[in-house]
Parts: sequence; C-alpha cells; structure tokens
Amino acid sequence: MTAIGLHTFGRGGIHPDPSKQATSWRPIEALPPPAEVRLPLLQHIGAAAEPVVKKGDRVRRGQKVAEAVDSGAPIHATISGKVKPIEKHPHPTLAVAPAIVIARTGDAEGELEFPEDPEWRDCPTDGMLARIREAGIVGLGGAAFPTWRKLTLPRGTGVDTLIVNGAECEPYLTADFRVMVEHAREAVEGGRIMARIVGAARLLIGVEADKPRAIRALQDALPLLPPGIAAHVVPCEARYPQGAERQLVAAVTGRVVPPRALPTAVGVLVQNVATAVAVHDAVRYRRPLLDRVLTVTGPGVIIPRNLRVPVGTLVSEALAFCGGLSNQANRIVAGGPMMGRTLPRLDVPITKGMNGIVALEGHGPFVDGYGPCIRCGRCLEACPLALEPDQVSLRVEAGRPLETAPFGAHECYECGCCTYVCPAERPLVQFMQVAKSALRRADRLEA
Amino acid sequence: MSLPPELTPAPPAPGAVPALPEARSRTLVLAPGPHLHAAESTASIMWWVNGSLVPLVLWGGFVFGGRALVVVAAAIAGAVAAEWGALRLLRRRATVADGSAVCTGLLLALTLPPLVPPWQALLGGVFAILIGKVIFGGLGFNLFNPALVGRAFMMASFPLAMSTGWATSRPWFDGGLAAVTTATPLAALKEHGLAAALAAVQGNVWVGLALGFRPGSIGEVSIVLVALGAAVLLVRGIIRLAIPLSVLAGVAITTAFSGAPLLHLMSGGLWLGAFFMATDYVTSPRTRGGQIAFGLVIGLLTGVIRLYGGYPEGICYAILLANALVPAFDMWFPPRRVAAVGAPS
Repeated sequence: MTAIGLHTFGRGGIHPDPSKQATSWRPIEALPPPAEVRLPLLQHIGAAAEPVVKKGDRVRRGQKVAEAVDSGAPIHATISGKVKPIEKHPHPTLAVAPAIVIARTGDAEGELEFPEDPEWRDCPTDGMLARIREAGIVGLGGAAFPTWRKLTLPRGTGVDTLIVNGAECEPYLTADFRVMVEHAREAVEGGRIMARIVGAARLLIGVEADKPRAIRALQDALPLLPPGIAAHVVPCEARYPQGAERQLVAAVTGRVVPPRALPTAVGVLVQNVATAVAVHDAVRYRRPLLDRVLTVTGPGVIIPRNLRVPVGTLVSEALAFCGGLSNQANRIVAGGPMMGRTLPRLDVPITKGMNGIVALEGHGPFVDGYGPCIRCGRCLEACPLALEPDQVSLRVEAGRPLETAPFGAHECYECGCCTYVCPAERPLVQFMQVAKSALRRADRLEA
Repeated sequence: MSLPPELTPAPPAPGAVPALPEARSRTLVLAPGPHLHAAESTASIMWWVNGSLVPLVLWGGFVFGGRALVVVAAAIAGAVAAEWGALRLLRRRATVADGSAVCTGLLLALTLPPLVPPWQALLGGVFAILIGKVIFGGLGFNLFNPALVGRAFMMASFPLAMSTGWATSRPWFDGGLAAVTTATPLAALKEHGLAAALAAVQGNVWVGLALGFRPGSIGEVSIVLVALGAAVLLVRGIIRLAIPLSVLAGVAITTAFSGAPLLHLMSGGLWLGAFFMATDYVTSPRTRGGQIAFGLVIGLLTGVIRLYGGYPEGICYAILLANALVPAFDMWFPPRRVAAVGAPS
C-alpha cells in the first residue's frame, strides 16, 4: 500500500505517458468479416496444432479446423468459407509459418451456434477445464500460454487466490479497459470459474487506478451476480509494469514470488481479464475463441479504435478499417509499445495473443547508436527486480556474458524499464537477453 | 534495420474493407523494444548541469571582475579542444556536443582562484580531459573526477598561482574593483585564527559567506547560488540529496569541536564540491547506501585535511580519494534483491 492507499509493488517501475485517451472513450467496434483469414497453426506457447481440414473443405465459423497437439491449443474457423491450400504464410513473430487460410464465400453456410448450457454453473471442474481446452483459449494478455494448461496445477501446488489481471499497464492499449467496462459480468464470472477450477477461495481483480470506469463497472457487477467465490476489485497504482505477474501479485496480495518461480509458488494464479471473459463464454456457451478485442492506435493511425476482430484477420485490414496509416508511421508494433515487437510487414494475421497494434512515427531509441554507460544508476532504480542491467550490459559488451549471473541476468523478464530510462539509450534489455541465453546454454551444458 | 518495401497487402475482395493503399510503398523499421523512451539523455543531463552552473559563472564575474570570466573561458576551451582532438586522433565518435567536456572545463574553472593566468587554466582543462578522462577510455570509464584531476594537476604544477591567486571580492556596489591578492577565510583561519578568517569576509560575515562576498575560487563563493543550481538539478531529478547531505554531515561531524564549525560549513569549496563534484555519476557509487558512505567519507576527509593537513581546503583531495573507493562501495552496497530460492520456471 502506498501513502495514498493504493495497492502497488515494491520498487522500481516507470511512469511513461499513458497515451490512452485516443481510444479509451471508444466502445469496442466489430470489424466487418474480412475476405480471408489466415490461422497460423502455432499462435500459442507449445506444439503447433494439427489440421483436421484440407484444401477445398467448406467450414463454418466456430468449427474446429486444427486439433491440439500435446499441451497446445486447438484452432477454430473464425469465418465461414472455403479452406485454401495449407502452406507457409507470413507470421507476426515466426517470419513464416504454416497457416490454414479460409476464404470467405458469401455467408450461405452461416455459422455454428452456441446456445447457453442452462446447467453450466453445476458443471464439474474437470468438465469446465475440458470446455476451456476445447475452446482453444490461450492467455489473451499477450503471452498466449494455453489457458487449460495454466489452470492445470502441477502436483503438490495449491492456489488460494486467483487474480484477474486488469492492470493494462502498457501505454496506448485500452482493449482490456473496454472489455472490463463492457463485459464486467462475464469477466467476474470467468474469474470465478477459474478460481473454482484451481480451488482458490477468493478472486481478486487488479485494475490500475487510472481506470475508474473499469473499477466502477466491475464493482457494480459484483452484487448482480449470484453468490459465489468471494470477489474483490483491487485498485492499484498506475505504474508500469503493474500488470507483470510478479508485480501484480505483490500489489494485490503482498506476497513476493521468488526469482525464477511462478506465482503458484506463493499460492496465486494470474489470468488476464480478456481471458476470463473467453473462459466464461467457453464454459457457459461452449463457444470457442473466435474473436479477440485489440486496440489499433498510436500517432500513426488515422482513426484509433478498439476493435473486435476474427482471429486471423490481417493487420493491414484492421489498419485499413482505422483509416490507414499516416505518412510518417514507420514502426508498427504488435502488442504494447513497451514489450511489443515491431512487425516486418503488414500482411500478417492477428493472432490470439495480439492485444494491440501501435503505429509509431519518427525514430525510436537507438537509431543513432548508443553511448557509453555514465553510471547514473537510473536503470538500477527502475528495475522492479533490483537487477543490475548496467553491469550486465558492460560484461556482455566485453564479451563475457557468463559473468552476469551475480547481477541477476537470468531473473530478468524483459519489462524494458531499464532501457526506457537509460539516458545513453543503451539497449539494456537486449543485453539482458544475450546474457540470459548465454547463461541458459551454459546451464544446459553443465547438466 | 529498415526493410525493403516488400509489403504486400491482402488481396482485395468484394465486400471487404479496402486493403491498405499505401502499404506497398511503405518502409517499415524493425527495432527492438521498448519503443518508447524517457526524455532525458546523456547530453540533456550534461547541458542541464552546465546551465545550472551559469549563475555561478556570472556571479564570479561580478565579484571578481572580468578576469574570472576569461579564466572560465580558457578552461572550457582547453577541455573542449582536448576532447575534440583526442577523439579525432582515436577515430572515435565525436562527443563534444554531449556537453561533458564543457562540463569538465566549467567545473574546473569554478574551482580556480580568479587571478590564475588564463593559459594555466587552459592547460588545466587539457590535462583534465586527457589524463582525467580520455586515458581511461573516455566518458563513463574514468575513475576520478576529471575536473578535480585537472585541479590537482594545477596545484602540483602552478602552486604559487593556485595558492595565492585570490582576490578580495567587490563589496556591495561600491563601483571599485579590488584585485588585490589576499587570503581566503579558510587560509586565514589556518594561519591566523578565527578573527582573521572573519575579517577576510567583506561586509557582514554571514551575509558575505552566504552570498559570496569573500575571497575564494571563482564559482565557490556564493553558497546561495550553488544551492539554487543544485535545486534545479534536484527538481529535474538529475541529482539526489544522498551524497551532498552526507558530505555536509561528514564536515559537520569532524569540525564540530574545532571552534568554527559554521565557518567550515559555509566557506571553501564545500558546497560546490558536495553538490556538483561528488554527485558526478561516473565517479560516484550507484546505489543510495554506497552514496551515503561515499559522501560521509568525503566529508570526514575534508574536515580532517582542513584541521590537520597542510592545506587550508580539503574537498578536492577528499573527493579524489573517495573516487578511488567507488568500486568498493559498489561491491559493498549492491541493490537488494529477493533471495534466489525458487526453482527455475
């Protein structure tokens, strides 16, 4: 708790300009069904899905087109149409990867319907988990980790608190905010479902305090719902990276997740708020994950909007619906501007985990190279984990990445605060990544 | 890292939203995240420091006459020329525009007696950059504060001018300019005692010490203006109070029973050193614990040198000695992390 009574994490963090005003007032708008969707077989962490349709098949929206392999997630047709040859296509993070392409052929086929299961509240937890798995839900906050797998706790771990993550600390993004405002009941219900599955006694919804409308919407929704697992909305300080699991757990429960451990180590499981809504839809209606909400914004977008798009829609189509790009737009970020990745091209599909498209203008950091470390200590102050990015960067520069362990390189989760504050514009996160992979390789060789 | 324009938009289809018209010719930049950056840069920090020192330069010119300004210009010229020439010889990226060489020359000049010959100040600036900074690898790699390295060089090479080049300050708007060689209050204190020290201050003793009507180095005399410049940097978040306050505390502790603690705290180069030299990022510890220890060491050494050493003023050597301890402070006061206990994720 801070002096002003808001929950927050301990040290570090930054306050970048939130830049959310361009879209926070705009309701979620549905993108008209695109002419074509490209559904990469791999849009989650784990093994790629196995196609169950072939070239020429006619599919209906909602129909499964690829089966989950191992601990992965299945994929569903997000528009009705005809399957084109399954080949490699541009992918937002993998350069090119196999994808099922569906061409929309009129809407004669119609879509599958998903009526409510009237007994959904009485569904046993393993049945709920099966529905979530069948729905192909992955973490919608960006990580894209299959949700059923995250809800399957390893043997010997117990969870007493489920946190629904509504922090949305990335600048520019307002998709989760709109979801909370417009789908507060579903978010709480989804959170309760997941709390039941993992056996948690309470549900905490962490929301940054600069989103009072979301906090009010969630609080208003609570009394309207049938009694269930105790649920509370926890306003948190607006500070990046408040939405990082470790920081959110510290903020709303006061528990400290040990380095390199998961929140389950302290009895907590964190799920994104849009994931919670998808879980609700999957359990109540058996509806698979077909659409996702994302924010298309940034100074380079003519009409910034919050969109609901069928998964597999091309980034270029979403941008076109938003009036296109300005002439100066030159960096198109998939995700938020702090942790997102720049896209090499615009004909890549919007995957399940893509929560935003941010078009930036002008040149960003490190275009003119970077300077030497001046030992100002800003990165030490900004690091939420109290790591030493300056020391790591100097050692990586000197070609000695294996000497970075004492400075915590292996604990870094790449929030980017250090790089954001570095006055010499040193790419400190990238030095961290180099050190981390060198340390990991050395660990493997030893083992 | 820009890509050739190979951006093929989705094939347009009837009924669909129009494909992005300009995508075909657009060049996209691939860059690592984060894609946003705070406003402060190395250069902006240096120029803010330089700007916050300008009132001290102007005040030095006012109380000691135009000669002081010539000394300042000479020291800056020496530092900038040395930086420019050295980087050219080494074929390194020119960093003169980042303001760090100007900062070194400026800080050196502010620690010099006003009657020092300008050519000596120029040499001091050259030495500060070459031996204080370039030899170690340039910006960020020097162990010792370059400006103070330059000053130490001048103390060794030009001892006469450096210990006698003091001028009486111009009294309150009397029109006359006294460029008479005299002694600083601290020197008078060491040689002749407290009464002589107080007599060295023009006008009311405490007003003179606070505003700077006393013999002393060009930029050290007005602690009010030092505090003003420091306040700018504090508000801007460029410096923190940990180091300067512990330096002042260290001097207060050592001089508490010397009979003139207030004179010690209000004269000499203490404030200039505490707020502008000891806070140099490159040559001070990175964490608050280390910074407090570092500041205390500087303060204690300053007091010890002033009371028991051969020099009337000790801040310069105190900072240089403490600079040598910075790697140790960094090692003894690392950022506090959660103990690593968890299994790998």
